[in-house]
Amino acid sequence: MGIAAARTRYILRRLSQVLPMIFVIVSLDFLLVHAAPGNPAQVLAGEAGSATPQYMALLNHEFGLDKPFYIQYLDYVKNVFSLNLGYSFRDGMPVLQLILQRLPATLILMGATIFISIVGGILLGLLAAQRPNSLRDNAISTFALLSYATPLFWIGLMLIVAFSLNLRWFPSSGMQNVAEFYTGWKAVADIAHHLVLPAITLSSFYMALYVRLMRSSVLEHRLMDYVVAARSKGLTEPAITFGHILRNACLPVVTMAGVQVGNLLGGSVVVEAVFGWPGIGQLAFHALFARNLNLLLGIFFIAACLVIAVNLLVDVLYTFLDPRIELR
Amino acid sequence: MSSLSRSDLLKSLGAVGLVALPAPVLAQSPKQGGTLVMCVEPDPPTLAAYINTAQPVGEVACHVYDGLCEYNFDLKPIPSLATSWTASSDGKTIAFKLRKGVKWHDGTPFSSADVQFSVMEVLKKHHPRGINTFRQLETIDTPDDSTAVFHFRLPSPYVWVALSGYESPIVSKHLFAGTDVMTSKYANAPVGTGPFKFVEWQRGQYIRLDRNADYWRPQEPYLERIVVRYIANAETRSASMQTGEIEYAAYGAIPYFDVARLDKSPGIASTTRGYEMQNPIVQLDFNTRTKPFSDVRVRQAIAYAIDRKFVIDHIWFGFGKPATGPISSNLAPTGFYTADVKNYNVPNGIEIANKLLDEAGYPRKAGGTRFEIVHDITPYGEVWQRFGEYVKQALDKLGIGVTLRYEDVPTWLRRIYANYDFQMTSNWLNTFGDPVIGVDRQYSSWSIKKGTVFVNDSGWSTPQTDKLMEEAAVEPDPKKRAALYHRFQKLVVEAVPVTWIFELHFVTVYHKKFHGLIASPLGDYAPFNGVWLAT
Repeated sequence: MGIAAARTRYILRRLSQVLPMIFVIVSLDFLLVHAAPGNPAQVLAGEAGSATPQYMALLNHEFGLDKPFYIQYLDYVKNVFSLNLGYSFRDGMPVLQLILQRLPATLILMGATIFISIVGGILLGLLAAQRPNSLRDNAISTFALLSYATPLFWIGLMLIVAFSLNLRWFPSSGMQNVAEFYTGWKAVADIAHHLVLPAITLSSFYMALYVRLMRSSVLEHRLMDYVVAARSKGLTEPAITFGHILRNACLPVVTMAGVQVGNLLGGSVVVEAVFGWPGIGQLAFHALFARNLNLLLGIFFIAACLVIAVNLLVDVLYTFLDPRIELR
Repeated sequence: MSSLSRSDLLKSLGAVGLVALPAPVLAQSPKQGGTLVMCVEPDPPTLAAYINTAQPVGEVACHVYDGLCEYNFDLKPIPSLATSWTASSDGKTIAFKLRKGVKWHDGTPFSSADVQFSVMEVLKKHHPRGINTFRQLETIDTPDDSTAVFHFRLPSPYVWVALSGYESPIVSKHLFAGTDVMTSKYANAPVGTGPFKFVEWQRGQYIRLDRNADYWRPQEPYLERIVVRYIANAETRSASMQTGEIEYAAYGAIPYFDVARLDKSPGIASTTRGYEMQNPIVQLDFNTRTKPFSDVRVRQAIAYAIDRKFVIDHIWFGFGKPATGPISSNLAPTGFYTADVKNYNVPNGIEIANKLLDEAGYPRKAGGTRFEIVHDITPYGEVWQRFGEYVKQALDKLGIGVTLRYEDVPTWLRRIYANYDFQMTSNWLNTFGDPVIGVDRQYSSWSIKKGTVFVNDSGWSTPQTDKLMEEAAVEPDPKKRAALYHRFQKLVVEAVPVTWIFELHFVTVYHKKFHGLIASPLGDYAPFNGVWLAT
């Protein structure tokens, strides 16, 4: 069987495993709804008293609150899988629409952060490990330690002071220039301009992690047989480093990154607050204040699906990076 | 600051003519174009200014909705949707001549039917202050499309300070008639006659208002667009003001400790002007329906325990003056204000408070605590959280354990004004230019309206104070009126259903390249039709 076919089969099998995971998450949601004090429909209507009587009646019907528990459960599962996540009275629109409206901003921020932290982490880790305990290594390692230890909001504020207030290179808040309302490529450039500081802030913590991980991974690989063999074959150091070691040593980083995606969503709440970035981190934060359980559960569900998707992607990426992994 | 007596009013009538543009003294002439990016804190819960008077709502909605009048710095009404007015000699009838050729943002023509509907069906029934302002209003006649005649049961001279687009916005009859005013879809997509049209609202980000090309003032508005941004973090707001990403922030959106620093930055200025008609007072509201605050001694104890000067100096950085009662000292020129009331601002306040609590039957238990309460905090940002933390420490000296609770604006409004599910909350309310508008709504029995915001939340009222307020509202002799309000203040301050902390001095921070920003005693509660950008 060709490698492509094997890969496809692997992906499909992994997808089939994903479904039970989502099912478990939905069940957890359902239990949370019933664990919260009060009538589940009231809980789901969110802010007590802001739902109209008609909507409450609809909810009662949709969630079958007069029916036996297991039928309620099936109804709830059915609603979630058909993406009926409820209605938010605070914002006057369905929860799903609200989340989807804010999701792109978070995805952009997360994407940029993942890119910067992985690329930066790998390169810096590599540079540090090339000459262990040299000045370069110590400088990079210290920088990593500081980035890891410093709170995200402080880094964000300091970046604003330095690059926004003093140098005027970057804007201090928001995702786009609301005085101009650019369209087309100008809008893309505008968003990219606004993205720089928040992305650097959020990636500082994770990059530190990947730097250290990559560094120790590279140090380990430098001692391995294949490197010795390559050197004795006559390959130059850069060729060995970038052609062989890089690809093998970055595997732990990729694994870690996949695991950290869930954390990223949480960390983004702080960065989104400091920079006024309109993502679902902020939305979750406000939903919490508003006791808008509907919205919170919807975000929880979407975020969980996101994490599962990214994990799947990482697994697939692995098969490209490491041919030793069996595609079973 | 004076409320207008009938004689004052009749004297000023002669001066009112046709379209009278407020005359800004300008060194340069206004230029067309430009976008103003302003910042509000907190995020508006709605844009329905006709039923919700939460602070940020008016900051946005007043550019979309017009009122019958606006005001100049003499606090006299100037024409807006009404071009002229005449009052009968007994003060019970006011005839407004309305402006012709005005169109709603959806193109339909404005007429007297809109005024009649807005005041009788919306403001009189549902607006937190309109309930009091228009209490004596019986009917509005509309003999033709540009005349509206108000008929009052009894003279209501305080109506003259309540006709701005902020206080009494005129809404469109054809969009609201036959629907439930409280849940209209135009709440968050307002359609008005004002200088700016509502375009879009990205929740938690910005509200976009574009220029109304058909505005009834020729050439105005000068600005192309107003964008109202919401930025959650206080330091970020200061940073954004400094970089020029936001150019105007009022009502303390810029933290008070940053005002002096920003004022020194090139191109930026700050001012406490533009709030002359507001007279806000910061207070702690007690829920007198339940223990422990059903006992006046407990309330008085808390009133004694707060060090008002400390709060002003260290939390609001000097932007205030200690309050003595429900009526602001800014009203002293009218004679309504008196300082001759029970004084809670004494040096041995803690001692007296502890004694009162002992008398009230709340002795200190084993750990030193008398009882526990939950203190709700006004959800308007960091300075209020600091105030809540101070209150907790102050009450700790009395042996009262305080748990702080901070929610978002709609949740807090519902808790305090719909469910009455609170014990003590911080709050601030504008008391305006006449006690009938801003003060009566907090202490009268008829202002206890479940679901209406910023009215009597403590649930306290007495027949005597009700009577004093009713009499004072219709008393034509200013001296007799003042005497009534003096008695009212003495009684209310003794009963202390809320305790008054200080009179707030709001600050506006703005970029000087925008002219005409401070053109009204209502500040950014007056439309920015005259604002222009110097390029």
